[in-house]
Amino acid sequence: MPESALPPQQNPPVRRRRAAPSGPVAFVWESVLLGWRWLARMRTALYLLLALAILSIVATAVPQEPNVPSTVTTWREGEAGPGVGVSRVLDAIGAYDVYGSAIFLAVLLALYISLTACLIPRIKAWVRLVRRSQPPVVRHLGAQDERTDFVTDRSPAEVRAAAAELLGRRRWRVRRHDANDADPRPDQVAAEAGLWAREGGSLVFHLSFYVLLAAIVLGQLLTFEGQRGVVEGDPGFRDTAVSYWAYSPGRWFGEGDHQGGRLELERFHVDWVRDPLAPGAGQPTVFRSDVRVTPADGEPFDAVIDSTRPLNLDGTRITQLDWGYAPRVVVEVDGEVVHDTFLTPVITDGGFFRGAVKAPAADPDVGLDVFLYPFAPDGEDGRPVPTGAPWADAPLLVFQQFRGDLRLGATQQTINELDVEALTSQGFGALRLGQSMELEGVTITFPELRRWVGYQVSSRPQVPYLLFGSVLLVVGLLGSLYAYRRRLWVVTMEDGAAPRTLVTVAGRSFQRPEAFEEEFADLVAELMAATGGAPAAPHPDPDPQTPTATPAVETTR
Amino acid sequence: MGSDQLAELSRLLYFPTTLMLYLGASVVYLYALTTTVGRTAQRERGRLAQRLGGILAVLGITAHVAHEIFRGLAQDRLPLGNMFEVTSLMALVGVVVGLIHLQFVRRRPELNGFVLLGGALVLGMAMLMYAEPGPLMPILDTWWRPFPVSLLVGAMGVFAAAFVFNALYLLRDTAELAVAAERSRSGGGSTVGAAYVGDVSDGSVTEPAADPPTSSSGSSGDGAELDPDDEREHAELLAYHRALRRGVPAVKLAIGPFLGTALVSWVWLVTADTWSAGLGRFLTVNLTMVAAALVARWFVPFLPPTATMDGLAHRTTAFAFVLWTVGTIAGAMWAEVSWGRFWGWDPKETGAFLTWIAYAGYLHARATRGVKGRGAAWIGVAAFIVLMGTYLIANYVIVGLHSYADL
Ligand code: HEM
Repeated sequence: MPESALPPQQNPPVRRRRAAPSGPVAFVWESVLLGWRWLARMRTALYLLLALAILSIVATAVPQEPNVPSTVTTWREGEAGPGVGVSRVLDAIGAYDVYGSAIFLAVLLALYISLTACLIPRIKAWVRLVRRSQPPVVRHLGAQDERTDFVTDRSPAEVRAAAAELLGRRRWRVRRHDANDADPRPDQVAAEAGLWAREGGSLVFHLSFYVLLAAIVLGQLLTFEGQRGVVEGDPGFRDTAVSYWAYSPGRWFGEGDHQGGRLELERFHVDWVRDPLAPGAGQPTVFRSDVRVTPADGEPFDAVIDSTRPLNLDGTRITQLDWGYAPRVVVEVDGEVVHDTFLTPVITDGGFFRGAVKAPAADPDVGLDVFLYPFAPDGEDGRPVPTGAPWADAPLLVFQQFRGDLRLGATQQTINELDVEALTSQGFGALRLGQSMELEGVTITFPELRRWVGYQVSSRPQVPYLLFGSVLLVVGLLGSLYAYRRRLWVVTMEDGAAPRTLVTVAGRSFQRPEAFEEEFADLVAELMAATGGAPAAPHPDPDPQTPTATPAVETTR
Repeated sequence: MGSDQLAELSRLLYFPTTLMLYLGASVVYLYALTTTVGRTAQRERGRLAQRLGGILAVLGITAHVAHEIFRGLAQDRLPLGNMFEVTSLMALVGVVVGLIHLQFVRRRPELNGFVLLGGALVLGMAMLMYAEPGPLMPILDTWWRPFPVSLLVGAMGVFAAAFVFNALYLLRDTAELAVAAERSRSGGGSTVGAAYVGDVSDGSVTEPAADPPTSSSGSSGDGAELDPDDEREHAELLAYHRALRRGVPAVKLAIGPFLGTALVSWVWLVTADTWSAGLGRFLTVNLTMVAAALVARWFVPFLPPTATMDGLAHRTTAFAFVLWTVGTIAGAMWAEVSWGRFWGWDPKETGAFLTWIAYAGYLHARATRGVKGRGAAWIGVAAFIVLMGTYLIANYVIVGLHSYADL
């Protein structure tokens, strides 16, 4: 027989075996395939999630440089923490900046590859399922989870039409089957619901991670965040790259992207529960700034910022972060004013505020370590008694005076800290508001006390996308946890003995059987109402010759 | 009434009133559970006990709600501002949701005792962090502050219920496995529980209590007239109960929860003002958990089938997971408004994230074939340890931005 005459199925194409790995290219390819398959396992994803969790525990236990740089410095220098040796190890593995470390990025990348490897086949299968799946027609109802029988005097066709209409209205996939010679399965309406919602929800849930990741990465590149303190009544500051005390722009945020508006603090309101016996004594009750804003190209206007209401300005948000008292300190040396500005000391655990005066204009430099006690009333002996109370009813400015080299520019120092390495102490002083004193030829005056507020200015174009991703995540989660896939059959038979119809409704659910139980009862009741049915004992199976069996449905979870 | 008196009243409503009512209701319910397997006279008493338990539980919930209201009035703000308030509300939510679920959805009121016991335990734990009513720091007082906090608190309550179900599941499963193993070792020659072990070993567990052998003794309820057959069956049943209890070694059950609780309760040791106060709290919490475990061991024979508890644990966890997810997102939105950043990996945010990951691990384990049952239940227990651990550590050990808020 000539080969071409053979029917095709007798000469199936031989499946080519994959060539054994040979050469470096094939080896690499095999390894990639192996890795991909490993990553596509859900167990792998669980390990990766575990790794992520461990990393964030490390980040909680070890101080993080982006959050608390000063603590990290003390750890590095061995002043606090586990010592210099351990600190070196921590540095080497990136434990001081876990979320910026190579390990963290690697785990995140692996997790996303894993997610992708996991989702591609699931999406394919899901699309196939949604497009092709038809409710299966049964031969025998067999043992279903739910089953109810009833009789009605409507015709079988009428009952089936009513069932199809009812199920269609409830958005089930409906398939009608009328028995014929080629297909003797009984007359029935087969239906299925929840087919795409559960798995689809799970897919949306997992896909939302990509949206969130994209928004976060984009955010890293496009945001900017700056902090700046403003003293009441001062000229305030302009939104430019150089005016911030702390400034962290994203990589794609250029200097030209600043809006250039101006912010002035007119008045800052803060008050506390002052009665020491009242509930919550000492806790603040008001925390609010009255500000004046001048947009780059517009009229100035007044606004209020408090902890619940940040100010939004052309996509830039101004948040009130912290505050302190701003004493004006004037320093004169030999009749010449070398320092006259408002300090911005920060509050300490002891309830006082600590700052510094740095006057390099004097020769040698003058430095003051300043402690402001807002409420230090005079005691019985006439000497001030500092309390921890934060209200400025009896402010007392205590300072330690230094002269020497401030080492400005030589070392990193914050504006509220002195580097006393090259300074010599000349003694202490204490001033009431409006007082003045002289110490070793230096005259210190404390003429005025205001307040200052620390603002954070930020631009975050990613927030709406994050919100969108979060909505996807929650919606998907609800679907994947609460949607359930179920099938239902309405089988009709003519009663041989009487002019009535025997109806059997049966169904099964792949998940949440207890929810289906209720739905099933509901459906049956509605169908009986629509067809004037009356309850009946279970009907015999339509085809009693063959043994009953569970219809072939694949059982998942 | 002044706010002092309101505060005093709310405290009295909390302790001892609510605590005692919950404990009492729980004891009565647990007693009722033991009578579900017994002679008719006992079952009648059990029904009465259930009714009494129900009354006590409702009174307890009423007192608890009144406490929350008076506390809110005393300080003129929602009672969600510190650890004590949050924990107390967590117990309230857990008890109410748990009881409604068991009573009306699952129709298994005989399990109410466990929910109430859990509620009483959490309530007692909250006493360790009691704080007098007071105002809230304004920086945190946004109008929608209650959203994330109450969602997370609700989720914690439901997670706590899921933990109880997981733990009970593990107990019962261990007991059943041990009985099955013992029976197969003795080659079926033992008469101990012979009537029931068969149900156990083929995987489809049927509850002995569902079909009590004494049901044939008539409705008169007179235990004195039992026929000998009944007496024998009853003795067999009791022997089966003893075998189940023996299946869970008491020493192991004391050590396990002690160590497990210690994974969380060391926080009291390191943060208390004095060493002895810390040790006191540590031991109180740990020994209470051990005692609860031993009490639960005694109740092992009366627990519902393992499949029921497995399903309860899964469903409660899924529900709480949704709450937790939404609460965390809402918390991030709140942080965005209050602090100008939505996520900063501060201890509380890290804790919320870790808990989320841990429970996602549980859901994944449940979704994969193969890790069902014990494996998943252990992950659920571990996830609860993560939840409690991160909660306490973030609030007491590490001081981050959120610590202003005490959650
Ligand atoms: C990043 C954090 C993740 C979370 C929070 C998460 C959460 C979930 C949840 C809640 C479910 C639903 C379980 C159920 O239907 O009962 C689920 C299912 C699933 N997840 Fe994830 N997932 C994460 C990452 C991943 C990754 C990286 C993979 C890929 C390897 C993955 C693979 C799966 C699979 C295959 C299922 C379906 C299981 C089934 O239906 O049998 N997940 N996930």
